[in-house]
Amino acid sequence: MTEKAPLAVVAALAISLAALGGPGKPKPPADLPQLGTLIAPLPEGPAKDVADRACLNCHSGDVLRQQRLTEKQWTANVTKMIGWGAEVPEDRREELVRYLAKNFGPGNVAFRPVAVRPIRPNR
Amino acid sequence: MKAVGEKRTPLTRRTLIGMGAAALASTALGLPRPERRLLQMNAYAPDAETPLDLLTTYITPNDLFFVRHHWNATAPDPRTWKLTVDGEVALPLELSLADLKRFPRTTVTCVLQCAGNGRSLYTPPVPGIQWRYGAVGNARWTGARVRDLLAKAGVKGTAKHLHTAGTDDPPSKTPPFHRSLEIEKALEDGIVAWEMNGEPLPPLHGAPARLVVPGWAGDHWMKWLAKLSPRPDPEKGFYMDVGYRYPAKPGEPGVTFKPEEMRPVTELFVKSSITDAPARARVGSPATIRGVAFSGAPDIAKVELTDDDGKNWKTADLGREHDPYAWRLWSLSWTPKSPGKVRVAARATDSRGSVQPREAVWNQSGYLWNGWHSVEIEVRA
Repeated sequence: MTEKAPLAVVAALAISLAALGGPGKPKPPADLPQLGTLIAPLPEGPAKDVADRACLNCHSGDVLRQQRLTEKQWTANVTKMIGWGAEVPEDRREELVRYLAKNFGPGNVAFRPVAVRPIRPNR
Repeated sequence: MKAVGEKRTPLTRRTLIGMGAAALASTALGLPRPERRLLQMNAYAPDAETPLDLLTTYITPNDLFFVRHHWNATAPDPRTWKLTVDGEVALPLELSLADLKRFPRTTVTCVLQCAGNGRSLYTPPVPGIQWRYGAVGNARWTGARVRDLLAKAGVKGTAKHLHTAGTDDPPSKTPPFHRSLEIEKALEDGIVAWEMNGEPLPPLHGAPARLVVPGWAGDHWMKWLAKLSPRPDPEKGFYMDVGYRYPAKPGEPGVTFKPEEMRPVTELFVKSSITDAPARARVGSPATIRGVAFSGAPDIAKVELTDDDGKNWKTADLGREHDPYAWRLWSLSWTPKSPGKVRVAARATDSRGSVQPREAVWNQSGYLWNGWHSVEIEVRA
């Protein structure tokens, strides 16, 4: 699974650090996660296993979670990604498209990017 | 200000994930949110944009500069890295970083903007990283001029397009990010840069060296640069023939253009963003609104703001700092005339007379969004 940072732990740590900082004092960026360490899982659903395998080899679920695409657009994108090497069993392709269109359709306005700390110059 | 991406939302597991645990925790406690931060658009390959409220300086610091990858890339070892110059040249070259640094050193200050910056603002929505306003920054780039490198290699008159490639091999059957640009632009303005804001170019920004193409979108700025090949014809492949293309003339929003109806993305479009505005103001009391403006033209002629949906415009003061293809900081002292929720919008005009439009031209890949940017300010009597 792709969720590398246990969210409850991160939240608890952030709250304790924030409390130490006190009100009115800017929080140091060390309180924030690094880019790439906080990765939300894909929503549950019948084709989640296919999406996990096919999509998350090359990019995080963030890319899916921020889309607002019609079923037609998802069909085109799934076709494109299969052409680029995404492994989708032929008999589960339509199920995957339905899963993506249901969760990340035009009404999907829930995505908010995670705030991460600045990137050190030579990371 | 409300235009920036991080809206306050109820405390649920989903928003906890979405906003970042630390940011949400500080909000819940009523503490100020952390100031210096990036917004993660993709945990891997790394994509992150700069919040607008941090784009308030002439030079964008390296640690706050937006990051964009097509896939997980491995930066080459600078000790063994070589830049190959071949193609339509009399003398092919293999340059180490030390060799490259022996060419005359030049520095330019200019904007780097992702072609897809603002993609999320198109209606209907289009696929891709849903950048808002912050896939852009202004930096000082130091390196060798492309024209000096090509002159050393003895570039021939048959060369019309400069093919470029980096070391970032794509996964599986994904097509490689091989590109070309018109040789005139590369010879006139192109730089192979190894420094960014006086520091060695960071790996996430293409170390040891990347191409810098002032005034043109980021897709031309090849990172982890490995090859420069002047050729008679343009490069072919997905990232030339399908990706990074923009309609030759506007169409109907939502109606997909055919590849032949489009041209490669090249110059940036004139654009202004509001980076600092008060959430509240009082009638009769001046409030300062600030922002940045830039274009594919070398300079910005003016920035104007409207508080009545474009009927009347006030001209902002332009910052003194400027360089060709860099951005201009601007500010306006705005005095609200009447109470209520007031929407203030900005538009820029560049040195060639292009004016930022109210609406950007819809295109299916969501490139080059440059519609008016606005913020809502609550004005009290």
